[in-house]
Amino acid sequence: MTQSEWIPSGVDISVPSVARTYDYMLGGAHNFAVDRALGERIESMMPGLRNAARVNRAFLGRVVRFMVDQGVRQFLDIGSGIPTVGNVHEVAQAAAPGCRVLYVDRDPVAVAHSELMLVGNDDAAVVQADMREPAAILGSDAARRLLDFEQPIGVLMLLMLHWVPDEADPRALVTRYRDALAPGSYLAITHVTGDNQSDNLSDATDAIKQSNSPDQVNLRSHAEITRMFDGFELVAPGLVGCGEWRPGGPGDIASEPDMNMLVYAGVGRKL
Amino acid sequence: MSIPSQRTGATSPPERGRELLARKWSYLLSGVVVVALDRDELDREMRDRLNELCAAVHAEESSDRPASRAAERIGQQLVALGYVTEDGLRVTLDVLGKGLLGLAEFQPVDRYAQPVVAVLGALSSGFLAASRRAVFEQQESMQLSLLKAVRDAQWNLKESEARFEEVATSSASGILVVDLAGWIVRANAAIGDILGYTTEELTGFALFDLAHPASARALGDALGALLRGEQERVRQPQRLLRQDGDVARISLTVSMVRGADGEPGHFVAVVEDGTELMLLQSELNRQALHDVSTGLPNRQYFTTHLESALRRADPVRGISLFHLDIDAFGMVCNSLGRPTGERLLVHVSQRLKAVLAREKAMIARFDGDEFAILVENAATTPDVAATVAEINRELSEPVYFDDRGLAVSVSVGVVRRPPPDWTPEEVIRAAEQALRRAKSSGRGQWALFHDRQDADERRVDALAVAMPGAWEHGEVGVRYEPVVRLTGRGLVGVAAKLHWDRGDDPLDHAGCTALAERTGLILPLGEWQLATACGQLGWWGQRATFTAALHVGLTRNQSRDGDLVRRVRRVLGDTGLPSGRLVIGMPVSVLAESDAVDNLTVLDELGVGTSLDDFGLGPDDLAVAAELPVGSVRVARRLVARQAGGEAEFLAGLVPLARQAGVEVLVDGLETREQAEWWRAAGAVAGTGQFFGEPLPASAFHDPVEWYD
Repeated sequence: MTQSEWIPSGVDISVPSVARTYDYMLGGAHNFAVDRALGERIESMMPGLRNAARVNRAFLGRVVRFMVDQGVRQFLDIGSGIPTVGNVHEVAQAAAPGCRVLYVDRDPVAVAHSELMLVGNDDAAVVQADMREPAAILGSDAARRLLDFEQPIGVLMLLMLHWVPDEADPRALVTRYRDALAPGSYLAITHVTGDNQSDNLSDATDAIKQSNSPDQVNLRSHAEITRMFDGFELVAPGLVGCGEWRPGGPGDIASEPDMNMLVYAGVGRKL
Repeated sequence: MSIPSQRTGATSPPERGRELLARKWSYLLSGVVVVALDRDELDREMRDRLNELCAAVHAEESSDRPASRAAERIGQQLVALGYVTEDGLRVTLDVLGKGLLGLAEFQPVDRYAQPVVAVLGALSSGFLAASRRAVFEQQESMQLSLLKAVRDAQWNLKESEARFEEVATSSASGILVVDLAGWIVRANAAIGDILGYTTEELTGFALFDLAHPASARALGDALGALLRGEQERVRQPQRLLRQDGDVARISLTVSMVRGADGEPGHFVAVVEDGTELMLLQSELNRQALHDVSTGLPNRQYFTTHLESALRRADPVRGISLFHLDIDAFGMVCNSLGRPTGERLLVHVSQRLKAVLAREKAMIARFDGDEFAILVENAATTPDVAATVAEINRELSEPVYFDDRGLAVSVSVGVVRRPPPDWTPEEVIRAAEQALRRAKSSGRGQWALFHDRQDADERRVDALAVAMPGAWEHGEVGVRYEPVVRLTGRGLVGVAAKLHWDRGDDPLDHAGCTALAERTGLILPLGEWQLATACGQLGWWGQRATFTAALHVGLTRNQSRDGDLVRRVRRVLGDTGLPSGRLVIGMPVSVLAESDAVDNLTVLDELGVGTSLDDFGLGPDDLAVAAELPVGSVRVARRLVARQAGGEAEFLAGLVPLARQAGVEVLVDGLETREQAEWWRAAGAVAGTGQFFGEPLPASAFHDPVEWYD
């Protein structure tokens, strides 16, 4: 232990953070040396990984616009990370002014950063919480202020559920959120899979393991991820490689086929 | 230039060409950047930028006004789109470098080439400057976020008094401890400075006395909400009255500190004025380079320092790097508690400073209980042995925590005069390696790094890494070794062994398992070995007279593998070998672990034969054999070799004792007839080893049915 107990582990910048490493992969500088080192190690094992990150980010934009088109005006983004370019409130509020967005992340630095960014934006807020505590999130002051649970809500769990181990039963957790939503709400999930990858991916997950990051990847199959949409109707084209979910242009797809299939993406509508 | 003029632009409007080029630009850019715009918006954006760019080229060509400013601005706008990075610039220059000179309006090429290059150059420099600014801004915003996170976390926590003191005195924020009735019971120096009182004076006040009348009510509401538990923390802008009558505009954060029972204890009010963020930031920067508990530089800082020290080192004396690890630190923490452990770390850091006070040295704390010392050697620097001895002598003086005296020792790995072209990482790695070696020889030891040893270890690492591929390519195979009855010399079993065929330098079973054990490959590899051998036995078993058992010895990791039973069942199910024909051996030492004991017990229940390998070296071995459901034990090769050297006749007594414990005794590594005879006389039933035959591929193995001496 290099830090005193009164500084929580999440603020230990000698340990890489998922949120900041992702920002680095996207090309941002909202990160520290340890995050960049981890990003580079993983990228060296899975060349093109930056593209997978970018493709996921592009999916975020498409899915938010899609939900706005369906009439959704409020969003709950769980595992929002560092709010970088093209974040939910930016995209949603550009598409339909007045959209309300609640961000949730457990990384204290990411949350602090979100708070600083959202100063002056009354329609968006951030809550520091672990997705494994649905009650704390759904019952938070910010959720009560921003979200109307009688109306459809767009819930985003992007590149997040694979950090939740099986022991925590991610499927049951998703169900807890689902039960709080009005019919016609949407759920979008992107999730890393090992279905289409082999050695590179396990090297990369090993690198994350060795990095002492508190977060570890849990790869899941198409069937397992599909089951997380219990009680939702998957909208076309279903659960597919992230780049293949309603691409709007070449930038939505990575040039390496593997990188399009590393992450499954799906959107469900609550029945 | 000899490119002929292709001027056709007189008839076709420039818009068409630009439109196509802008789309191409946007299209290629969208594959490398992260922006908030959707495709159409990006198209429009790039079209506007291209129009501006074309105007700049025209302006540059006619040189009636300076165009570089406009082009630089376009570079800045590109950066402002989002995360554009160097890839975005590369794509831009690629597309525009070729595309602009292809436009009809920029013909003839030789007239426009120079303006296009100038404009793209200005765009690049604008891009670069804006990109640098963006990086700085993002980094700064992260620093601020980090600072905020630390601060938020601090006031969130229910802290012990001692911790609180520590934070309060060193904090640049004003901190007031206020009792439940609203009286200030403690104040730190910072709040005194803000308000112009001494801390003693402040402790006489009620918090409300300090609040400006206009905002006192908001403060009262906030404290009420905290008291009733409706909120854990409130933050509000406040006006406090200074001693000189002025008003201090500050930001006030009040939280409720509860006792261990969860009942309200007192309020903590944090007062920040505008300059506080800056001050706390510099403190945070210091913390980012220093370990919080000991105040020593951390690994990151140390590494940077090492880099410059390597460069400026005295060419003859060089530097020395010591990597220290406190012996049995885990035991201290476990028995006396983590706080005592932390105090011990502080103590060690102080003693290290004392020992090295005369040297030009940096002492750093690495992770956990590890320290590093960098000494820039001078003529008077004592040699390494003397320094280590001095450190351990210092530390052997007991230090008293809560009346308990504690003396510790450290193990040390040393790198002396590393070559100046080594990177800091290489030096630290070498020291770590030496430290590992020191630790393996016991407490309070030290070891010097030697280059050759490093090479050996690296060779082994390289082998371990290559092994999975070799296995896949069929270079790793299973070989079979006869297990022979010592009386009558009949074949009673076949032991399955791994073998890596590496041409002139093959690796035997022990080598293979040691490597695979390092990387974890042993689990799949071992299952494959078991399946292959069971299949082979089935093949031999088609002859009714073949009844020998299959002996498979497991490694430590295999023995405690949570999946072991499932793997064995699966193999038996797949190959159809009766469970009674399989004997699984585990190293006797691993049976101190409950996972291994569980595995052994379940295997026995399944009817699989069980055996203890490397038997006879530990004091508890006999007890293990007696208590667990074990069919046989296999005497360790080392003991067999000692007996052969004539130095362990007492071993003869081992066999009857084992038999009393209800197990049969097998012997490994028999090389001569004499040995086989000696062990037969001692009471062992069967053995393996050179004397009976080396492990061989299945095809070369004596027909086991025909086997006899």
